[in-house]
Amino acid sequence: MFSRISSSFYRTSAWRLAMRSTLVFAAGSAAVFLVMYIVVARTVQERSDSWLIGESETLKQVALNTPRDALYDRIVEEVAELASQEVSYDGSGHHIQGNTVFFAQTDGSSHSPVWVGPSDSGKFLNAIRNLNIAQGAPISLRVQGWREPFRVVAADMKPGDGRIYLGLLDASAAALLQRLLVRFVLGWLFMVAFGFFITLMGLRRMLHRVDAITGAAASIRPDDLGTRVTVANQRDEVARLARTFNNMLDRISSSVNQLHTLTDSVAHDLKSPITSVRGSLEIALTLEDRNQSDDLVAGAIEQLDRLSDVITTSLDLAEADSGALRLRLQSVDLGELVGRVAELYAPAFADNQQRLTVRVSEPVHVQMDVSLCTRMLSNLMENELRYATASSEVCVSVTTGREMACITVEDDGPGFPADLLRPETTSEGAGAPPLPRVFLRFVKGSDSQGHGLGLAFVNAVATAHGGRAIARNRGESSSGAQIVIEVPLAHQVRLDEQSPSSLSMP
Amino acid sequence: MRLLVVEDDKTIREFLTRALTESGFGVDASSLGSQAEKLALEGVHDALIVDLALPDMDGLELIQRLRAQGVSSPVLILSARRSVDERVLGLERGGDDYMTKPFAVAELLARIRALLRRSTPSQSEATRLRVADLEIDLIRREARRGGVEIQLTQQEFALLEYLCRNAGRVVTRAMVLDHVWKMRIDTSTNIVDVHIHRLRSKVDRDAQQQLIRTIRGVGYVLKD
Repeated sequence: MFSRISSSFYRTSAWRLAMRSTLVFAAGSAAVFLVMYIVVARTVQERSDSWLIGESETLKQVALNTPRDALYDRIVEEVAELASQEVSYDGSGHHIQGNTVFFAQTDGSSHSPVWVGPSDSGKFLNAIRNLNIAQGAPISLRVQGWREPFRVVAADMKPGDGRIYLGLLDASAAALLQRLLVRFVLGWLFMVAFGFFITLMGLRRMLHRVDAITGAAASIRPDDLGTRVTVANQRDEVARLARTFNNMLDRISSSVNQLHTLTDSVAHDLKSPITSVRGSLEIALTLEDRNQSDDLVAGAIEQLDRLSDVITTSLDLAEADSGALRLRLQSVDLGELVGRVAELYAPAFADNQQRLTVRVSEPVHVQMDVSLCTRMLSNLMENELRYATASSEVCVSVTTGREMACITVEDDGPGFPADLLRPETTSEGAGAPPLPRVFLRFVKGSDSQGHGLGLAFVNAVATAHGGRAIARNRGESSSGAQIVIEVPLAHQVRLDEQSPSSLSMP
Repeated sequence: MRLLVVEDDKTIREFLTRALTESGFGVDASSLGSQAEKLALEGVHDALIVDLALPDMDGLELIQRLRAQGVSSPVLILSARRSVDERVLGLERGGDDYMTKPFAVAELLARIRALLRRSTPSQSEATRLRVADLEIDLIRREARRGGVEIQLTQQEFALLEYLCRNAGRVVTRAMVLDHVWKMRIDTSTNIVDVHIHRLRSKVDRDAQQQLIRTIRGVGYVLKD
């Protein structure tokens, strides 16, 4: 169990990110410490080297100036002794353990050299004898039996007069450097560990919030869209993610609600005609009188045609909503098309004691899908046929604005009920402006005979062509309904493009 | 005239067979593309009615294979796919006409006849049509009933001409809208009825015999 938890912990991105950033940090800080250490070590060595060179010069002068008598060795030894004491004691007179100085003077003859220093002079002299060293350039020299190397400098006496060697083992500097190294390593280790801990904790806390979103997402079911992520009062990325996630849930839940309403409406709209079709056919089967049963069957067919119409329009609307409505754009003279559709509907209006007038002043060219546009216009006409009261006047006009062509259909009837003009937000994206309810699917007037899809289709076609549909009542007296369709004007219409689109009147 | 119906839905296949047989066609029916291919290759069919969704192959594939093997009889495609693109694709792949489900039998019959007419060498186009005592002159665009001229608007004449050309056969509202007004719209209102009513009041008003009849639920027919 533990291994499972720990192995899954090592797979978290908090662990991975913390590891990675710590490794980079560790490498970087180690490099910085190394450079600092090298600089300090160099400085320390330069200091002792310059002391060695200076002291060896002094000793050389002393050796040169001292007459070569019986006291010569004594004097040189004394001076060397004094010099060695300079480094063996610190500023306040305490003896520094381990600092060792040696002085040797050879004179080129077999005469034993002058020696001041540790008692095992033989080892030193052997080491010096094999030394190839230029004057005034200190080098490191390892002597048998000593752990640390000596820094050694040589100074030439008069030619043939031998050399002076001065060596220094600066144990205090070495100890200082070692202490520095230990502190650096300890400090570095602490920094790395602390940095790792902080990063890991910070990342875990942040990713914990991401986990909360994951949990919320996992708990979402079609029947339960109520889950929301608690958004911390922060403005960082995770808070943004949480807010976006909540907004998405809001939208989905509103879509699902609309879908439920829609399904209910569809079920209702399909069930009633199916019931009546079934009933009609059932009765027709039992009737003896052929004429009566024919009537019932014919009525059933008409009901089925209406059903088929509802299904076709619903599918078109679903396609339009999902952006899958493919337009076959052609140049259309909107005035001519409106005229033809009006001509088709004029007798029906006349039969309803309504008057249909068309006002088109000039050809208005737009890029539209002719078939969709025709169906849109026919829906507008049927809408008027159904809702404009008897003896009312219906007027269709086509006008042009700066960039838009407008089709206006208006009547002098009672107008839209206020309820149908109330704007309602649709599910399509947060950016979509609210639409008057009259353009929503399956929304229809209380005494409507239609299926409530006609104006939704009108709006869908207008929107698909980059335009819009507006529904309102004329004036404040709310006398007369007005629907305006705006579609973009075709900017350049060549004459040769017009012919295939304008279907000639028979 | 012999037709081949390729449709996997049993109900539709059976009622198509029945409707076509009653209209005087000989009918072979098949539910499988492979079986239909064999039947069609016998070369005895004057036209084919092919559903696009077959269990063993796509209807379009069947049509392409038949065309590749030299079957030139006209093909009417039946499909539930109703987008314009599907329609265009069907016609490009060798179909001659395309109908979406649900459809009216009257329209199917009219389309089959139109396909058969197109595929057989046409006799010279008539300039006068006559049904009982109704006579129309297509060139002068005049109509006479019992020798008396009937005053018709252009639209009314076009409607009467369409009915006369299909004399004795039922035309649906959708067919009238498509052929006379060149509009493919579904309507649940009575716009076409109103036009027919007006035409009938001119054509049949003074006559003993009603020529233009309404078949409720289906459409109209002009016959004596």
